[in-house]
Order: sequence, then structure tokens, then C-alpha cells
Amino acid sequence: MARFDTLNTAWMVWDSPAPAREGAVLEYTRELEKFLAEIERRAFRMAQVALRDADDALDVVQDAMLKLTRNYASRPSAEWRPLFYRILENGIRDLQRRRTVRKRVMTWLPGPKQDPDNEAQDPLENVADAAPAIPERLMQAQAMQQLEESLRALPPRQREAFMLRNFEGMDVAETASTMACSEGSVKTHYSRAVHALREKLGEVW
Amino acid sequence: MSEQDNDTFEKRSRALFQDSVEGLDFALRSRLTQARNAALESAATRRPWALGWKLWTPAAGVTAAAVLGVVLWMGSPLHHQAGVAEAQSSFEDLDLLASSDEGSADAMEMLQDDIDFYDFADKAANPGPAA
Repeated sequence: MARFDTLNTAWMVWDSPAPAREGAVLEYTRELEKFLAEIERRAFRMAQVALRDADDALDVVQDAMLKLTRNYASRPSAEWRPLFYRILENGIRDLQRRRTVRKRVMTWLPGPKQDPDNEAQDPLENVADAAPAIPERLMQAQAMQQLEESLRALPPRQREAFMLRNFEGMDVAETASTMACSEGSVKTHYSRAVHALREKLGEVW
Repeated sequence: MSEQDNDTFEKRSRALFQDSVEGLDFALRSRLTQARNAALESAATRRPWALGWKLWTPAAGVTAAAVLGVVLWMGSPLHHQAGVAEAQSSFEDLDLLASSDEGSADAMEMLQDDIDFYDFADKAANPGPAA
């Protein structure tokens, strides 16, 4: 069966006789599932780097998946990736804003102060792993942790440009489409991000 | 900072990130799969609305056109005029038969001669099964 790029194309096939119609809808669903399966883990890690919390990261990824399938699945499949990451970044920013507001409110309230970022932290995460860690793996994990902390210290647009270009492997044009800015801005954000990260990590990396 | 150093840095950070993605534990992978399935299911449950709209629009259009056609046909002046003309024609035929000076035999003969024509005219006016 011929591959189709949009849901409208699928509907055109849907207007054809029943066996072809069912096959087209099935193919469309498979294509969407394949796309989500390909990107979900990277998207989750990128959200986790930005939010520093697995549950929050999972929430924003799920929300982005829902919004994409509900509102933008009819777009050509080539547009899915930039659209998905734009939704994801908006979700991350919304959550960070809410956290900032919550933090401000908490400082005004009487009683013991709590760091909202650590509210959902699982105590088991702090328990040391019983299995002996392989030194190389441990060094890699430490290096990644340092990279994550440095990324969090970057301005949001620089962090976004770095993660999309470097982690997700997008080219400049696709990154610009995702970030809704010019290609020149992407290059500037990315270059500044690399410079800042190298400056910060230079000594330990 | 040289370009080569930047390149090395970029490759290393990409590799570290990829390692961390592959190292996600089973529980998280499972939750991501659940999230994906929920999103796809949500899209699938929304689709019938679009499908219904898609399927019912042509059907509604055809029905509306048919109803309009019947209403126009039933209400057309031609339809009424045809009925009036048919009634008038019947009276004229009776009148013709009754007012014949040479008797009804001639009139009947005239009608016999043209019986094929009247039969044709009747069939053309009423294409249904002959009474």
C-alpha cells in the first residue's frame, strides 16, 4: 500500500473501498506509534535534564504526546518532530514558571520551608546501590551529571538549542522551526551554549 | 577554544546523553510505553467524530437534494397544468362524440383509425404498467 504523509491523505484513501481504507488507517496509526517510540526516551531525558524530576518529566512528555496526536497528527509526518519538541519545550517552561511561583508563595508562608523541587523525591533514590559500580560507568555517570547541572545553569534558549542540536541531532533549520526563531539565532544560541558549557566543564572533563 | 576541541566536546556530550537514554530502567520504559499507548488511544477515540462527519456529509447532501427535487416537482406549475389539460382533453373527446352530425359510427371509425396513436400517446403520458 502507498505511504501517505497526512491524515487528509489517509481520509482520501478512507473514501476508497473498505479493505484499502482499513489498511490505510492502520498504517497511519503504526507510523505515529513508530515516531513516538523513536523519540520518547530521548524526549524524557531532555525533560528530565531541564526539570530535574522523573515524574514531572514523564508528565510533560505524556502531555506532549497527547497534544501531538490530538491536534497535529493530521500534519505531514515530517513536521511531527519539530512540533513535538515545541510542545515539549512549552510544557517544560510552563512547569518551571509554576515552580517559580510556588517557590515565591512558599517563602511568604509561615512554617518549615520546603524545596518544591525535592517534594516528589523518592527516598529510595538516595540509597546507595548495593552492586559494585564499574569505574568506567561511574565516571560516565558523573560526567553526565556534571553536564546536566551545567545545562540547567544555562539560559533556557541556549539549553534548548544545545539539546535539540546535540542530543536530538536536529539540523539548524529544524531547530529553528522547533524554537520558532531564525537560523541565525539558533547558531548564536548554540555557539554560546557550547562556549559556556566548555568553560564550566573544562577543568573536570 | 578551537573548532576541533568543540567537535570533541560535542561528540562526547552526545555519547554520554545516548548512554543515559539507553540506561533508562525498565519501570520508566514501561511508563513511557503506557503514555504512548494512552496518546494513541486518545487519538483513535477522537477519530470517529471526524469519520462521522466525513461519512454523513455526502449522505445528508444527497437526501437534501432528493427532497428539494420532489418538492419542486410536486409544486411546479407544469405539473398542475398537465393535469388540467388532460381533463379538458377528455371532455373535448366526449363532446366530439356527442356532437357528430353523421352519427356515432363515423366518430368511432375515426377513433379506430387512430387507435395506435392514442395507445402510444397514453403510454408516453403514463410510462407505468398499462391498466
